[in-house]
Amino acid sequence: MKTFLLSLAALFVTVAASAQVPSVKVENSKGESFDTAALLEEGTPMIISFWSTTCKPCIRELEAVYEALPDWLEEVDFRVVAVSTDDSRQLAKAKSFAEGRGWGSDFTLLFDKNQDFMRAMNVTVVPHVFVVDAKGKVVFSHTAYVQGGEVELFEAVKKSVRKK
Amino acid sequence: MKHRLTSLIFSCVSAVCVVQAAETADEKGYVTGSFETNTNYYLEDQLTAATVPDGNFGSNNYLKVDYHNSRFTAGLQLENYAPALVGYSSELAGAELTNFNVDWKDEDFSITAGSFYEQFGSGLLFRSWEDRAIGLNNAVMGARLTYSYKGILNMKAIWGAPRFGMAYSATQVKGADLSFAVSELFNLRNTYVALEGSVLDRYEALNTDMSIDGCSPNTTGWSGRLNAESHGFFLKAEYVDAGQKYYYNTSYAGEGQMYYRKRGNAQLVETGYNGHGLGVNLSLRRLEWMDSKVVNDASSNVNMLNYVPALCTQYTYMLTTLHPYGARTGEISSRFTNSGEIGGQLDVFYNVRRGTWLGGKRGMKLHANFSTYHTIAEEGTFRSGNLLFRDISVDVEKQWTRKFKSTLLWSYQEFTPSYGASRTTWLSNIMVADLLYKFNSSLAARMELQYLVTFEDQKDWMAALLEVSFAPHWSVYAADMYNHGMTKVHYYNGGFSYSKSRTKVALGYGRYKAGYICSGGVCRQIPAYTGANLSVTMMF
Repeated sequence: MKTFLLSLAALFVTVAASAQVPSVKVENSKGESFDTAALLEEGTPMIISFWSTTCKPCIRELEAVYEALPDWLEEVDFRVVAVSTDDSRQLAKAKSFAEGRGWGSDFTLLFDKNQDFMRAMNVTVVPHVFVVDAKGKVVFSHTAYVQGGEVELFEAVKKSVRKK
Repeated sequence: MKHRLTSLIFSCVSAVCVVQAAETADEKGYVTGSFETNTNYYLEDQLTAATVPDGNFGSNNYLKVDYHNSRFTAGLQLENYAPALVGYSSELAGAELTNFNVDWKDEDFSITAGSFYEQFGSGLLFRSWEDRAIGLNNAVMGARLTYSYKGILNMKAIWGAPRFGMAYSATQVKGADLSFAVSELFNLRNTYVALEGSVLDRYEALNTDMSIDGCSPNTTGWSGRLNAESHGFFLKAEYVDAGQKYYYNTSYAGEGQMYYRKRGNAQLVETGYNGHGLGVNLSLRRLEWMDSKVVNDASSNVNMLNYVPALCTQYTYMLTTLHPYGARTGEISSRFTNSGEIGGQLDVFYNVRRGTWLGGKRGMKLHANFSTYHTIAEEGTFRSGNLLFRDISVDVEKQWTRKFKSTLLWSYQEFTPSYGASRTTWLSNIMVADLLYKFNSSLAARMELQYLVTFEDQKDWMAALLEVSFAPHWSVYAADMYNHGMTKVHYYNGGFSYSKSRTKVALGYGRYKAGYICSGGVCRQIPAYTGANLSVTMMF
């Protein structure tokens, strides 16, 4: 175990690059297989928000973003990707729920029914948001949501554009 | 020896990662990971006969580390139960390097060696996944190969041993899953149609009794699926033949068969429409003898190889979760025999637009739900028997002003305390008001008021919660659930949480009722306990 831990420590020292969006197969609204690597093809910054139908703070956060989005888009060009982590029990409901909230028109909706994308991004609890810059680097990450927290999120989006 | 072996494997994996990273200076790759702890300190509480483990302490800890470099990924997970929190499976004990894997992913194919998670279709035939809330992790240790041909064909093949508790079992599973996107073949733009299918073989050496009784160590099952979507309308259908199942004859007295042979099967249909602010979803499902275990001779709530969730609304309010429903997969006991369940659920979501008479200036969200599940009256048929669970609910969410929002919920729940053995059911009506007020851009308060009316069990309950949040980091709350119908016991709790960037710390204290914690339709029975809880999640 000691050898292993030393190797692991060496790995940490050696590798210092920024995290990126990994390639994982999820579903889109139609039920088609979707490779998350394709999210980077547009070359614009994005918010990736992991949520579920049973997570009230997640819904409050996405609602806050949904309400503020028209104003935000006047300042910065970016996308919002809402990734449902609901499993097959709630999958169909998650799609109906998102439509019933009007999110389908403003967000890119993805469905991670066996939490493969969630694990690949090392998300352990939802809500969890990432801001990814135009080059595909994760520049901001935040777990949990309290009312008003979307202001900090938008500041991170603006900062990612300025970095560009 | 085992520890040495795992250490050696991961030293090699880490060394490969380091060498590869060093060789490609521009593409060093990156490391991500997460750490989570849930730690409880338990106290005596005579009023609830609270469970207090030896040392008054329980702690579940998880460390996950991944290394990514282009198409290559390596990962590991360490778990430490010191000891496990009360209510968790007794198999979870000590510290182990439980999961480790290496992956190579190309555009069209991928290969995984080590532990992995996978799901075929809806998971009725096979699912391996992790759910820390209920202490479940049935990752498979072995190999997985996936291949995709132009988005038309998607194939998966797996082989390995599923995890049970802290170790990988002697059970072996091998299977394949195929999805054929017909619409891609014919280049249909607004319609998606896919034909899908899976096959799974499970092998476990038989115990002596099963061998004498002529049982087979192999169980082979398959499923066929249709997945279609067009202009917002969708239809999903799945038929599962889960293969031969063996159920112990509890009345066995030396003569006849010791094990009943049953054919596991399930039918699932999901259909509806999503569009124009309307979401309608109808699910119909019949299950028969659908129990699938990692290990035959172990009784544990996390001993499962497939996913058979309760298809009903999963509530989060305190009083709506007092009697959660768990799907019935078939049981034989001296009390009664029930081969499974049959029923369905209808969900309707509607976004009432702004500027309409009903929506007002800021719109309104409506949701209605109906679900009902019954035993199967006669094995092998679609005839429904006694009621298992029924739920009707309506909730309305309305943003009144920029500062004030309300959610009102009414739920009517009826369930059988005998798991369908008799017609007796318990009824309850639950009302919830969830009120949110924003004082300014960073200060907000949320209040929940709840009431449960019933003439059965412990009669009426009431509950309240107040949460004050200071954006973007702090939140404090206090809650109480009170049974004033019979026991007159208060189940109070309070605490705070702090979150910054990738870290969240929460500290709470309270008295918790015995019951079930359900996650994704799988439930964990927890005893009553009183104490303090520290929860930390970090990502790096």
